[in-house]
Amino acid sequence: MRFATRAFLWCFGPFALLMLGSFWDVQKLVQLTVRDAIRNSLRQTHQSIALMRSKSEIQNSRFLRILGENAALKAGLQLLLAEPKDPDARLTVEEQLRELSETLGVDFLLASSPEGEPLAGVMRIADKLVAMDIARNQPPQRGFLTVETQTYQIASTPIDQADENLGLLTLGERFDFSQFSTPAVLIRNGKVLKSSVPGIPLADVESALGSCKGQIECEIRLGGESYLSLPLESIYFGDGYMIRSLQSLDSASRSLLKILQNVFLVTGIGTLFATLILTVLCSRSIVKPIAGVVSKLREAERTGLLPEFQSNPKLTPIQEIRELTEGFNRAGHAIRQGREHLHSAYVEFVGSLASALDARDPYTAGHSSRVSDYSCAIARIMNLPDESLEEIRIGALLHDIGKIGIMDSVLQKPDRLTNDDWALIRQHPTIGRRILEGVGGFQPYLPIVELHHENWDGTGYPVGLRAEAVPLAARIVHVADAFDAMTTSRPYRRAMSREEALRILQQNAGTQFDPAIVPVFAKFVAADEPAQFPRPVWPQSRPVYILPAAAAAPARSQHLENQRV
Amino acid sequence: MNIHAVTRPIIAVFMGMIGLTPLQASDIEGVVTVMHRLTKPKVTTSAMSYARGPAVELHSDPLKDVLALERARVVVYLEGSFPSTPLTGTMEQKDRQFLPETLVLPVGSTVSFPNLDPIFHNVFSFSKPKEFDLGNYPKDHTRTVTFSKPGVVYVNCHLHPNMAAAIVITPNDWSARADSLGRFKLSGVPPGAYTIVAWHKAAGFVRNNITVSADHTTTVNFLIPLGEDATVVAQR
Repeated sequence: MRFATRAFLWCFGPFALLMLGSFWDVQKLVQLTVRDAIRNSLRQTHQSIALMRSKSEIQNSRFLRILGENAALKAGLQLLLAEPKDPDARLTVEEQLRELSETLGVDFLLASSPEGEPLAGVMRIADKLVAMDIARNQPPQRGFLTVETQTYQIASTPIDQADENLGLLTLGERFDFSQFSTPAVLIRNGKVLKSSVPGIPLADVESALGSCKGQIECEIRLGGESYLSLPLESIYFGDGYMIRSLQSLDSASRSLLKILQNVFLVTGIGTLFATLILTVLCSRSIVKPIAGVVSKLREAERTGLLPEFQSNPKLTPIQEIRELTEGFNRAGHAIRQGREHLHSAYVEFVGSLASALDARDPYTAGHSSRVSDYSCAIARIMNLPDESLEEIRIGALLHDIGKIGIMDSVLQKPDRLTNDDWALIRQHPTIGRRILEGVGGFQPYLPIVELHHENWDGTGYPVGLRAEAVPLAARIVHVADAFDAMTTSRPYRRAMSREEALRILQQNAGTQFDPAIVPVFAKFVAADEPAQFPRPVWPQSRPVYILPAAAAAPARSQHLENQRV
Repeated sequence: MNIHAVTRPIIAVFMGMIGLTPLQASDIEGVVTVMHRLTKPKVTTSAMSYARGPAVELHSDPLKDVLALERARVVVYLEGSFPSTPLTGTMEQKDRQFLPETLVLPVGSTVSFPNLDPIFHNVFSFSKPKEFDLGNYPKDHTRTVTFSKPGVVYVNCHLHPNMAAAIVITPNDWSARADSLGRFKLSGVPPGAYTIVAWHKAAGFVRNNITVSADHTTTVNFLIPLGEDATVVAQR
């Protein structure tokens, strides 16, 4: 897992979960509060409805008392009591009741004897007032009466003539829910007779209300919605009848909850999005400096170099990253130091090897280190960079390492060399290259080892390269090698003087030697005293004493021009 | 009431009866003008045709002249006790109405009240000339009442308060009902001074004193109700 992913997940995940959770909680809380408030308001509405209904009940009872004072009805009732079995008398009273019902607009009117026995009645069936089958109906004095499918809400008043009670008049209206401002159900002994809850079958309402048994206020689920159910308790019904109002909490709170949900949704998505962006930025800000360090490390791995990091606080404001880079720098420094030690130890070793090789023959003892010194001197005068100087120093030390592979009998032959001997001798650069090729870190010295016998005009060996096709380092070593060879004694000749050797070099400049290097070398020889020749001190110190600073400047510029030509 | 007013008609009648002076009796005629509608009769329809709705208003046909009906309700008679010939009248109870709703009979007449409805009716009156209560009786039963005093007897039914009728018992035989144009005529009135009365159930009594001469017809016009400006009405 990448660090960025990890930072993102640890940062964003818990926060998003926490936020979603708290939003959900707050929303639920608000929902509950809203529902509570709505429940209270519904309850209040319900109470005021009940109050109004009980008021209208009182008015109805007054109206009923007035109705009981109807003289014609009294006369009719008297007739009916006098002629209880006479169908015409019943018809007479039925006519009276019909007319009364018509005038009053009621749907049910019944006259009973003082004993409560029904005598005559009319009821409205299919918009017609028809005579009632009194044998079948025994209505209560008040409450509800169900005849076939029709339910009537009824009320009664006594009919008195002076002190005598003539009977009872029962008046009824078809019960419907138009007087209720809320949906309601009419229940008798747990059975739902009528319902004004839209779109829900009676059976469902009945089964849902089953859980309300014995409770005054209860909440039920109908058709996926919550309803608050309250009984209309202020009105007496009797006979197992009951009216419960059913008010949908959901539809009352829906619009408000919808708004709330939208607010929460917008806020939630907005916050989530903001969190997402912030988290990404945060993880990026952590990872970016690390990625910078990592890319430098990769580069270091690729190049093998251990570059130093900039630990400027302005560039990396993060302290941890600074500490990391500083730590890396320290480690890099230690490694570099170790590597240099190792390298110089190796070089010392190889140099010792070369010296040992030289020392086998008293004539060539110290040859490699002198060549190295001359070459360094030339390179310094030519103002080559430190890296090249170092390359030249070590390359010159090792330049004759290939002579290991050539028989001593040839190398130390006091006589003139035959052609075969020369052929053997001429293999030493190639052998040297082959020896050093396999050693890691010696690649920079290979050109010197291989090509320090190539001539300017292409007559050298082993390849026969011309002029600047031969690397500068090899050309320098070529000059230095030749000079040292001439100024030391050999079994077959005596050593030449420095001036003589220099003259020969100058003679062969442009044919055997690089014409730009020979004058430089000549300057050095002129300034140099052999007895005082100093050993160079590695690694520091450009030896300014070789040439006065004033003399060095024109030499440098001349050299650069030569180099270019 | 002076003596002439009483004796002269008797003489005229007597003479008329013996056929000696038939030309001495003359007529009273006139026009009753009803200024505006006086009654708003409301009745119920027949027993079995009930339906929800307002009670039916009779005579609301706009083509009909409402005032014509009002004029036809007016009874005109002469006051004064003269010999009268008692008659027998019938006031039916049908469709919960008294039919006819106005009955005019001379004093001493007998009225029968047959019940033609399938329901019980009850006929009673608290009027001064005759107080009676025939009780409740069913279909096809009839009960009778004899009216021995002149005057207006209002008849009602205990069971059906909107049933109402009036029986006008006139003191003599001279009585008439106006026709739809308001015209009436009392024939064979001996000459003399009389009080002529026009009665409408809603407007009450309107009296006029007249003198009947032997040789020509006496004209009396009534404006009902009293106190209305006749000229205004005439223009209508």
